[in-house]
Amino acid sequence: MALDLYRTAAQIDAAVAIADFGSARERRMEAVLAALRDGDAATLNARVEEAQGLLAFLPAEAVEPPGSVFDAPAVPDDFSVVATDGSHIDVNRHLPLRCALVNIGGCRLTYGAGADAELFSRPRLRTSDAELFLRDPDTPSARQAVEGALMGLVRTVEEAMALAEAVEADDSGLPTLALLDGTLVLWELGGELPPRGRYPDYVREQLLDDGLLSALERIRDVSARRQVAVGSYISLPNSTEVVNLLRLGLCDLDPVGHCQTHCRALVPGTRRCDAAHGLTDRELFERTLAPGQRSAVFASRSPVARDAYGAHRVHFFYVNVEEEIGRVEVPAWVALDPASLSLAHALVVDNARRGAGYPVALQEAHEQAVVTGADREAFRNMVERALEERGLPVYTSQKQRTKRRPWV
Amino acid sequence: MTSDGLPTLLGTVVGGSLTDGVEVRLAEGASVEDIPVGSYVVIQGETRRFFGMVSEVRLAATDSRLRSAPAGFEDPFVSQALTGTAAYGSIVVRPRLVLPSVAGAEGDIAPARTVPGHFSRAARASEADVAQVFGAEGGDNFAVGTPLDMDAVVCLDLKTLLQRSNGVFGKSGTGKSFLTRLLLIGVLQSRLSALLIFDMHNEYGWEGGDVERGRRVKSLKQLFPSEVSVFALDEQRARGASVQPDFHVEIGYGEITPDDIMALRETLGISDAAAEAAFALGRRFGDGRWLREFLRLEGSDEIGELAARINVNGAALATLHRRLTNRVTRLPFVTDAPGADAVSAIMDHLDRGKHVVLEFGRYGDDVIAYMLVANLLTRRIHDRYRERQSADAGEGRSTTPLTIVIEEAHRFLSPAVASQSPFGIIAREMRKNNVTLLVVDQRPSAIDAEVLSQVGTKVCCLLDDERDVDAVMAGASGSRELRSVLAGLRSRQQALFFGEAVPIPVAVQVRDYGTDTSYDALMRRRPRREAAARGPAVARSNGAASEDEDDDPLFG
Amino acid sequence: MTTAPQAEARIGEVVEAGSTEFAAECYTLYGAPPLGALVRVGDPAVYGVVYSVTTAALDPGRRVAARGAGEPDEASVYRNNPQIARLLATHLQALVVGHDRAGTLVQRLPAAPPRIHAFVYCCDDADVRAFSEQLDYLHLLATASVPAIDEVIAANVRLAAEARPDGDGFRASAARALAEELANDVTRLKAILRSIQ
Repeated sequence: MALDLYRTAAQIDAAVAIADFGSARERRMEAVLAALRDGDAATLNARVEEAQGLLAFLPAEAVEPPGSVFDAPAVPDDFSVVATDGSHIDVNRHLPLRCALVNIGGCRLTYGAGADAELFSRPRLRTSDAELFLRDPDTPSARQAVEGALMGLVRTVEEAMALAEAVEADDSGLPTLALLDGTLVLWELGGELPPRGRYPDYVREQLLDDGLLSALERIRDVSARRQVAVGSYISLPNSTEVVNLLRLGLCDLDPVGHCQTHCRALVPGTRRCDAAHGLTDRELFERTLAPGQRSAVFASRSPVARDAYGAHRVHFFYVNVEEEIGRVEVPAWVALDPASLSLAHALVVDNARRGAGYPVALQEAHEQAVVTGADREAFRNMVERALEERGLPVYTSQKQRTKRRPWV
Repeated sequence: MTSDGLPTLLGTVVGGSLTDGVEVRLAEGASVEDIPVGSYVVIQGETRRFFGMVSEVRLAATDSRLRSAPAGFEDPFVSQALTGTAAYGSIVVRPRLVLPSVAGAEGDIAPARTVPGHFSRAARASEADVAQVFGAEGGDNFAVGTPLDMDAVVCLDLKTLLQRSNGVFGKSGTGKSFLTRLLLIGVLQSRLSALLIFDMHNEYGWEGGDVERGRRVKSLKQLFPSEVSVFALDEQRARGASVQPDFHVEIGYGEITPDDIMALRETLGISDAAAEAAFALGRRFGDGRWLREFLRLEGSDEIGELAARINVNGAALATLHRRLTNRVTRLPFVTDAPGADAVSAIMDHLDRGKHVVLEFGRYGDDVIAYMLVANLLTRRIHDRYRERQSADAGEGRSTTPLTIVIEEAHRFLSPAVASQSPFGIIAREMRKNNVTLLVVDQRPSAIDAEVLSQVGTKVCCLLDDERDVDAVMAGASGSRELRSVLAGLRSRQQALFFGEAVPIPVAVQVRDYGTDTSYDALMRRRPRREAAARGPAVARSNGAASEDEDDDPLFG
Repeated sequence: MTTAPQAEARIGEVVEAGSTEFAAECYTLYGAPPLGALVRVGDPAVYGVVYSVTTAALDPGRRVAARGAGEPDEASVYRNNPQIARLLATHLQALVVGHDRAGTLVQRLPAAPPRIHAFVYCCDDADVRAFSEQLDYLHLLATASVPAIDEVIAANVRLAAEARPDGDGFRASAARALAEELANDVTRLKAILRSIQ
């Protein structure tokens, strides 16, 4: 018995009992909802600007009146939804061969008269130094190993590249929604201004400028010829950027938002903005969005998104896809073009409805991309066999062996 | 395919034994319904060809559920597929002969002493196979007909036949006489034996009856006038006939011996004591005079006196006297002073190469007359032959054998009398004295078993009584299938032949008799040269018959 | 029996192969030949009789969910969920019943199973006629331990009979061959025969 589920379940029950689900939370929620209802985009944005750099939290930038809601626009008769997703097997130090596998899966679903579907997946083994390390072109000795978190970023970039490719390859001329899973904000790469990201500039250039943004640009190019909206979908988002923006609406101190100055000595719970404490954007919009409706559009103030994305600056809105509140991130050129925004809104809702709460296209892309435990095992065996065939030593660590063949 | 359009291949051997026969699983297309018990089958073994007879026909199933739950199998498509596969017919074939391994090749035919191996193929015997088994017509081979289910000819080996006594059996009306007449023609033509025929029902002389077709058919005298002598017992009838007998038989008192009376004991309905009294009389008066002396007595006093004198029971002697007077001496041909000695006449004719038919005329229906005459003559002729045989043996000559044909044979050969009856003696001594019997009878069960066991070849028409069948089959190998065959015979013109003169038992569709064509066929058998040499003599000696014989190839 | 492969008859390819049977994925959803049909695989040809056709999610880990509650008809389920057709696959399983050995058809198991990805062709009438000239393959079918094999046998015989000018005669001889094969199980035999008829 690995995990004692009975004991775990008992502890979960206890935790739920203690958690703040009571009337106090409800009162706080009411306060935040009021702030949302009454909030004025310009005022809120101004307060943020005023407090720039001094906020202990990251607020969104209001683009439309924050409390506004929009019904889902009509879905075109014929359209397609393209999505990609990725999965990878990271470099495993227990394996004798240094290598990683990235599998990008995707689909193009065509709806309407020419209903059709195309599913694809492209596995790619990374074994060469060029694939396993990002190098500084100016300082050849400087390099970053593509593994762990960086591998995750690399994968996201590849997903976007694959998405761009799929959009480009589609010559149907149909209105298209191109979807990625997760966020468009590669926050780990950091912005121009402090706080700086954890990676050197050449990494950001390669992954962002030559990577994600280049992919988005390619899609934007296609959008010049036909209607294409690109975005990413985040299920069960835990972000609090809108709630954080509303904190500034709640703050009654002067100057607003100078948290360090005003509130450093205050016990949490006694500040006005504490009404927003522990609430997420999702919980907020659960109260305001009817099925199919989206929230106002906001722009991300994440340093990287703000400083490095340019025309692709990440905007987002929340949408009620019936089963849940999802977050849709789109580049600025989509967010600010009403037709593209409508398309994104309409098709996300439609596709999520077809997928019982989660966009079908992403589900299928995920299915194409997913690397299962069995696949991982098979991959490892393939590598070992290839080595053996070449007479190369195959050794695995004792730990690895133990994992594979547990002692009784 | 055989001539009847049925497939030749029957199936393959799947088991069995020499004693019980081999089991042949029927092949597709071979139906049990087309394979009667008794059919001939040839089984091609690895090195030998076996010739045998179907002794059993069975239906079998590979799965017992077929038997227990037959619902649904009657569907024609299903039943057709199952027939011969899951539900199949099988036959048991008792191998009897081994033929040369290549069909039709010359070679010996020997009794089968083993069985063909597994998966040997069994086929209906072809006509050629059957012909090979029964031999070709001609010489000593006499064609009696065809097997029931094919056209091949079944031949009797007359030489073998005549080595022993033989029997023709069958319930009345099954054509025994018909068949007997045919056999006699064969024997007659073969010249292998002389014939003495006690023609109880006037079938074998000039002409005989064909009850089925309601016509008269030619008999021996008509076909072979110069070789057959008809002796008549019934003068009155003979006088009215178109053809006069060669001899009128009369029996003198002096010729009747106490033995003859003993043989008639049951028929006369007299006690042992009465029959014994005849012997006492014989001792008192001498064999040649006892009857005349005894019958001269009149009244119970004289008889009682005699009884006392010869020390026999008076009442028994009186009964004997009464019976002899009422039943024997009243017979017109029994006379105190016969015109000629019948026995000598018969011997004379036989010696001249003639065959003798003794027609009983009206007396055929008189059992006493028949038995008296047959016994009496046979005893004395047998005695003559016996004397002659010992003489010949001494001088190194051989006597032409004699076959005595006797109808209602059980009357002479019942267990009670067989030991004393001359027929019983002849049957038992086999051919020692050159005399054999051809017994014709409808009640073989009444014949002494020991006598029956001496019968070499049996020709059996339909028999109803189980006891009769038992008696006929006693000692025959494969009697079970023979019984089936026998039971399956039609009541006319079919007979089962088994015994020494046929290589295997055979059910025969007896050859046609009574039509011009049939006479032609029979007569053609005879060597031409001989017929030509003898023909004119016959014509001269019996011109009266010539107009009836215009179509006879003999005279044509 | 070495007829040139006909493009229109190519229906899929082998995805699993053993000595006695093979599985193939069909190129089109629901594009399997009927139960009992004769298929040919690879070169030299291996022949199989379809004994099972399954349509299921391509990924065994994914269950197919009902999607038609709000749809007016079945076709619209597929139209509004175009990916479904891509996620489902029709597979057939076939029992090996013969192979081509140096140009001669032998109704026995081949020395080696067909290769994975070998193309699967649906035999046309001429192929079926030539194959059904021999009935030895019925033994391979009758002794196979796969579910509902009796139905498969019956279906195969019916299909072959339809392809032949001597249909009824073929039915009868196949029936006899089966009767010999199943002589010890007449209950089973009866069921097959009635189904052949």
